[in-house]
Amino acid sequence: MNSSFQKKSLGSKIFDCANVGFMLLFSVLMIYPFLNLLALSLNDGADAARGGIFLWPRMFSIDAYSFMLHENKLFSGFGISILRVLVGTTTCVMATGLLAYISTVRHFSGRKLMRIMFLMTMYISGGLIPTYLLIVKLGLINSFHVYWIPSLLNAYYMLIMASYMQNLPESLFESARIDGANELGIYFRIVMPISLPVFASIAVFSSVGHWNSWFDVVLYNSNGHWDTLQVYLRKLLLEVESFEEIKNQQIAQSKFRTLSPVTLRAAVTMVVTLPIVFIYPFLQKYFVGGITLGAVKG
Amino acid sequence: MNKLNQLNPTASSQMKIRNAMRSLYRERQLWLISIPMIIWVLIFSYMPMYGILMAFVNYIPGNTILQSDWVGLTHFKMFFDSPDFPLVLRNTLAISGLSILFGFPAPIVLAILLNELNNKRFKKTIQTISYLPHFISWVVVASILFALLGNEGILNDVLIRLDIIDQPISYLGEGKYFWGIITSANLWKDVGWSTIIYLSAMAGVDSEMYDAGKVDGLNRFGLIWHITLPSIRSTIVLLWILGIGGILNAGFEQQLLIGNAQTREYYEVIDTYAYKYGIELGNYSYGAAIGLLKAIIGVTLVFGANRFSKKVLDTSII
Repeated sequence: MNSSFQKKSLGSKIFDCANVGFMLLFSVLMIYPFLNLLALSLNDGADAARGGIFLWPRMFSIDAYSFMLHENKLFSGFGISILRVLVGTTTCVMATGLLAYISTVRHFSGRKLMRIMFLMTMYISGGLIPTYLLIVKLGLINSFHVYWIPSLLNAYYMLIMASYMQNLPESLFESARIDGANELGIYFRIVMPISLPVFASIAVFSSVGHWNSWFDVVLYNSNGHWDTLQVYLRKLLLEVESFEEIKNQQIAQSKFRTLSPVTLRAAVTMVVTLPIVFIYPFLQKYFVGGITLGAVKG
Repeated sequence: MNKLNQLNPTASSQMKIRNAMRSLYRERQLWLISIPMIIWVLIFSYMPMYGILMAFVNYIPGNTILQSDWVGLTHFKMFFDSPDFPLVLRNTLAISGLSILFGFPAPIVLAILLNELNNKRFKKTIQTISYLPHFISWVVVASILFALLGNEGILNDVLIRLDIIDQPISYLGEGKYFWGIITSANLWKDVGWSTIIYLSAMAGVDSEMYDAGKVDGLNRFGLIWHITLPSIRSTIVLLWILGIGGILNAGFEQQLLIGNAQTREYYEVIDTYAYKYGIELGNYSYGAAIGLLKAIIGVTLVFGANRFSKKVLDTSII
């Protein structure tokens, strides 16, 4: 707010100072956990067991990270996570964008039907167990396809994309139609290029969702062939796995003698978190517009 | 057209059909795109809705729901009679009650304080930082909690160094700490994110209002009370109604990730219970019944809260 209108009272100045102090404390609270894990991940394993690492590594070592390069499970988990994000996001954005487009074509008589059919799904759902049984029945469990087919079309994304496309000039599409363009052509050649901002923001949201998701992997891909990075990290947290891994590796090569579960966990957590941090500036750029809507939805 | 209808009804209905066919042909491309989408939504969204009916039968995989034995409300009764029911209900209400108690006012206070910051860049930086935890997965949050609160975690480390305790306390392994931990984790993750909607409502206030308020002799607190707060009043009511409606949503992933066998007595909520009995133990009908019950109570609560706020606060969402 603009406070230059009047001279500030003393109380007001004290309030400002306290407010800034509180905000600094608050941001430390938000960031510190990450900094601590970063320091831990860059510390020597045996030394970390002594405790006392708060902000800075005491005995610098990148063992935990170089160990990951020798760790097949983690590698494949990383690959599957990335594949999931790429395939899941591309298909979801393309398909949902097309749905949004046809639901905004003004002369299409089925437009209302499509909107209602999808909007209904925002308010009513079958719940966990009927959905699970359906996925089992469709034979989608223990396969990669469960990562993209059930999330292909999203009513909420449709709403955001359609509200953007509604503001595009109708004459653009009409002249293309007169020139003989088909609807898919219009979608790919006209709608997508000029709606790029909304496509980008939905892509960012969808990819964060795919990257972070954990429970659906546990539920549908329990055989371990399609474990993502999140699942790998979870298994490390359950202790058993990490000790086994490390013991095997220590026997195999004496290089990682001082690796400890604590530093390994911290390093894997960093690998899971950093892509989000890198994508974050893009996120920031895009999320403000559509997201007030999202916050309402809950 | 009307006259024609009266004179010859068959001709007009024929024409209607012809028109419909013609528009169907004209829109054939759009319909061809729509059909696979309709099939998808029927399968992935509407089939599970039909699947809810399994709550009233003894569903065995392999049979269809209609082939199974109709048992009416037996599964619902079983849930109410089970020894776990009071425990699950207590945990659900306690965890989401605590989340509302702290998680509802906190973003409002934070948004007001952010709005009072004079330096735009500083404000933006703090906002950016505060949104970050929202985009972190619960698995990562669990990992953070292990590092902070584990036996070798920072908290134990600091307390032992300060000679406050001699033995590390297993914060994550003792049930009595669980509600506090999960409430703090929920707050940490979403307090910043939840300010967005309040801040965007506050941004809509004309700055002349504040100038006028100052002329009228309002101090800082007065401006907040008489101008900022009224501007987010309807947003507060909306989120309050949605919050009450979601009171049985006490979380799911976080319980599974942070909870463990020792803390089960404090973390088991309706959703995790339905998942365990429904899917892990294969009592599909029982689990579906619990899910349905929860959904019905949720909808009832939203309408109830909406009615209450309409009567008392004169604001409503429906």
